[in-house]
Amino acid sequence: MLEIQDVHKRYLKTPALNGVSLHVPQGQVVGLLGLNGAGKTTLLKIVAGLLLPDRGEVRFLGAPPRRQRGKIVYLPEQNPWPESATPARVAALLAGADPGFDRARFQTLVEFLEVPARSFGQMSKGQRARANLALALARQAPLYLLDEPLAGIDLISRDRILGALVREWREDATLILSTHEIGEAEALFDRAVFLRDGRVVKDAPVEALREEGKSVVEVFKEVLA
Amino acid sequence: MKLRIDPEAGPIFEQIVTGVKAAIARGALRPGEKLPSARALAEELRVNPNTVIRAFTELEREGITETRRGLGTFVREDVDQKALKRELLAAAARRYLEAARALGLGREEAARMLWEVEADAGDPGRA
Repeated sequence: MLEIQDVHKRYLKTPALNGVSLHVPQGQVVGLLGLNGAGKTTLLKIVAGLLLPDRGEVRFLGAPPRRQRGKIVYLPEQNPWPESATPARVAALLAGADPGFDRARFQTLVEFLEVPARSFGQMSKGQRARANLALALARQAPLYLLDEPLAGIDLISRDRILGALVREWREDATLILSTHEIGEAEALFDRAVFLRDGRVVKDAPVEALREEGKSVVEVFKEVLA
Repeated sequence: MKLRIDPEAGPIFEQIVTGVKAAIARGALRPGEKLPSARALAEELRVNPNTVIRAFTELEREGITETRRGLGTFVREDVDQKALKRELLAAAARRYLEAARALGLGREEAARMLWEVEADAGDPGRA
């Protein structure tokens, strides 16, 4: 269970989050949707324990994120690894640090995602995104936070990433995936949370949207237009 | 003295305090040198003058600067540049470790990664 309670955060005078509350049961796949600047990245950073909220509280499995480090896999939008490092090198470092890192799973993911055996600096944007997803999903954890894993990459990489998420997903893990390009991603989500100007403007199970005869894309346009 | 404010990097007065300390640590601001006035700095950084005044108060409290009545704020002659350097490095190291931990690395691995980045930056073969 992830509990986000009335979280506020401002940068300079600009509010980034204006009282966000979410209760995410374990195993739910949440699409965090909104335009650029809606507060998606700030919220993920707070849940990852990288930023502290100005007000409000986050608890994952009963404790603040900073005390649950090994249980939270966070993938930032920009490649966080040195340009000179290869994914295999990073995998070796992660395996040394995180007992949940599964080398066999990493190999499977590398093959499925066609991660090249090159340094990050010599990869295309799509290749980097695929490599980072392989590294993230190779870690066995109860919570994954993926910030815009589909942004600005080629269509083939997109398909591969979505494929890996569907194929390799463990039912008991929670996922929060932020995106502003939803399209194909909606097949993945159990729940869609729409963020605008740092507030949750709609929060609904994807099934309920379907029953209303709406797709996530349609609601996206309706809520955020 | 050049200061940069990053809207995402936490409280502004802290960034000004750190910026002044960094300028002293690297010798851009020397012991005995005058700081810009709070108003001038506030204009330059486009922040509230009270924020700069708060930062200056903190610097004075920490024994880094002193106010000379009618003359302005000066870096103290007895400021310990080496201690400031150590303090800033320790803070940067803590931030790096924090980021590395969020990505799943421990202390050991974070240190190794740091060595590799360092080696990378020094390699003339890279563009």
